[in-house]
Amino acid sequence: MLKRLYRWLDLRIGVGEIVEKELTGYLLPRNINEWYSLGSVLLVIFALQVITGMLLMIYYVPDADKAFKSVTFIMNEVPFGWLIRLCHAVGSNMMVAVLILHMLSTLLMGSYKAPRELNWVTGFTLLALVQGISLTGYLAPWSQLSFWATTVATNSASAVPLVGPYLVEFLRGGKLVGPPTLGRFFALHAAVLPVVIAAFIGAHLFLLKRTGISAPPFGREGTATPFEAQQYHYQGHPGGIPFFPNYVLQDLASISVYFAVFLAVVFFWPGMPFTPDAFVPADPFKTPAHIKPEWYFLANYQTLKIFPSELLGLSVQAAAMTFLALLPFIDRSPERHPLKRPLFLTLVIAGILLWIALSVWGHLS
Amino acid sequence: MENEGRRKFLGVCVAGATACAAVAAGYPVFRYLAPKSGQGGGAKLVIPAGELKEGDAKFFEFAGSSAVLIKTKSGELVALSAVCTHLGCIVQWVKEKQQFLCPCHGGQFSTDGTVLGGPPPRPLAKIPLTVTEGNITIG
Ligand code: HEM
Ligand code: FES
Repeated sequence: MLKRLYRWLDLRIGVGEIVEKELTGYLLPRNINEWYSLGSVLLVIFALQVITGMLLMIYYVPDADKAFKSVTFIMNEVPFGWLIRLCHAVGSNMMVAVLILHMLSTLLMGSYKAPRELNWVTGFTLLALVQGISLTGYLAPWSQLSFWATTVATNSASAVPLVGPYLVEFLRGGKLVGPPTLGRFFALHAAVLPVVIAAFIGAHLFLLKRTGISAPPFGREGTATPFEAQQYHYQGHPGGIPFFPNYVLQDLASISVYFAVFLAVVFFWPGMPFTPDAFVPADPFKTPAHIKPEWYFLANYQTLKIFPSELLGLSVQAAAMTFLALLPFIDRSPERHPLKRPLFLTLVIAGILLWIALSVWGHLS
Repeated sequence: MENEGRRKFLGVCVAGATACAAVAAGYPVFRYLAPKSGQGGGAKLVIPAGELKEGDAKFFEFAGSSAVLIKTKSGELVALSAVCTHLGCIVQWVKEKQQFLCPCHGGQFSTDGTVLGGPPPRPLAKIPLTVTEGNITIG
């Protein structure tokens, strides 16, 4: 039955040719490893965020007077509403975590080097966009946590010289966070950013198709891959393993591991995305005691606090982000094996430790 | 041969696991989307008798649907479903004629719900009511 359907399609639109070119005939390096499956995991997570987001929109009301009630209604009254909301809220955290892993793996394997600079730049933009969609979504439940986290986050823009105060007002749609903020944040969260993210994912994959996938620097002799092409050249891997079925199996295995972790959090640690302030409706006249951003913003939050001036704190972060975004243009050596790049490896490890230290400090302070 | 059997067995296992996963994900989503059943069903409604003058009609929500209460010129109280039996529009009360008119395709009904003209195939459904000490209890 399936075979006949396949033949029917093949005779008309030549699916066989596509399968041959993109699946069974798409060869990957023999020494490819598990880390290369994180991109597929991210695609699944994004799809799940879109689906659960659309489902939430059925009952969620983006109006300051009704938002909190509608989210409470989803949690307590709608059958399985708690499940859908938890999948969305936990999923957003997981998406950031997996994005960081994906980025670290390409960083350590040197896959960002020429000719793949643009893959890195689009990927880095995606990280920023996902942080943006999380930040704007965070306001949606209109809880004390939402309200004051957004107040603090938007306030940090005031350190920008000259236009700072106006920028804050522009972001909020008013002097303070209020109903106009919810309107613009929700539009960004549910209409603008998903489309922009989808477009960037498309670009990211398109670039991957054009450059060809990189070979990991492990388990082979020459690990330096100098880029001296005089003309465009697709990096293929003759004699490699086929994407289908071999690597699809790895992708599925990684996706299963992801689901195991994700569902374990959803079912056994449902409080993960929330603090007690998440269960109190927003009150513009009562600032709660300990307002902290989500874990992945804690390092930024702490950096802003330790510098004597906000402008300095903000500039340091902007510099660090710019440096990371432009890394492929700064680090131009062809060597890709991390152990043969001791300075680089030391810096990466120091950077990760610094980020963790700042986050822990931010959490405890 | 040996391999064939193993392949088939694994295939069945994978298909089974996939089907289970699909049900486990699909059932919550279906329940999430399904409308709440039995909204206000069975609940009775009390209307003070003084609210209605002779020859007037009062529309209200009953058991998740629209209903109407009328007091005829002779003082008789009748409660009817306001949903036209043709294609489900809500009928209007024409006070001058003391009858119902459906605005969609011109169906007409009398005060006791019988069809006087137009396409409706059946009379409007009657809703039982009792009157006690100036209160009309519907349902
Ligand atoms: C088309 C895509 C999306 C739609 C339609 C959507 C829609 C929604 C809606 C309606 C809410 C409010 C209900 C609630 O708070 O639980 C929400 C909350 C949220 N969304 Fe999304 N969303 C989408 C994608 C994403 C993505 C990709 C992320 C992050 C990676 C994300 C992160 C969040 C966060 C952090 C919240 C707040 C969760 C909470 O505290 O309850 N969303 N979203
Ligand atoms: S729906 Fe009432 S007459 Fe057609």
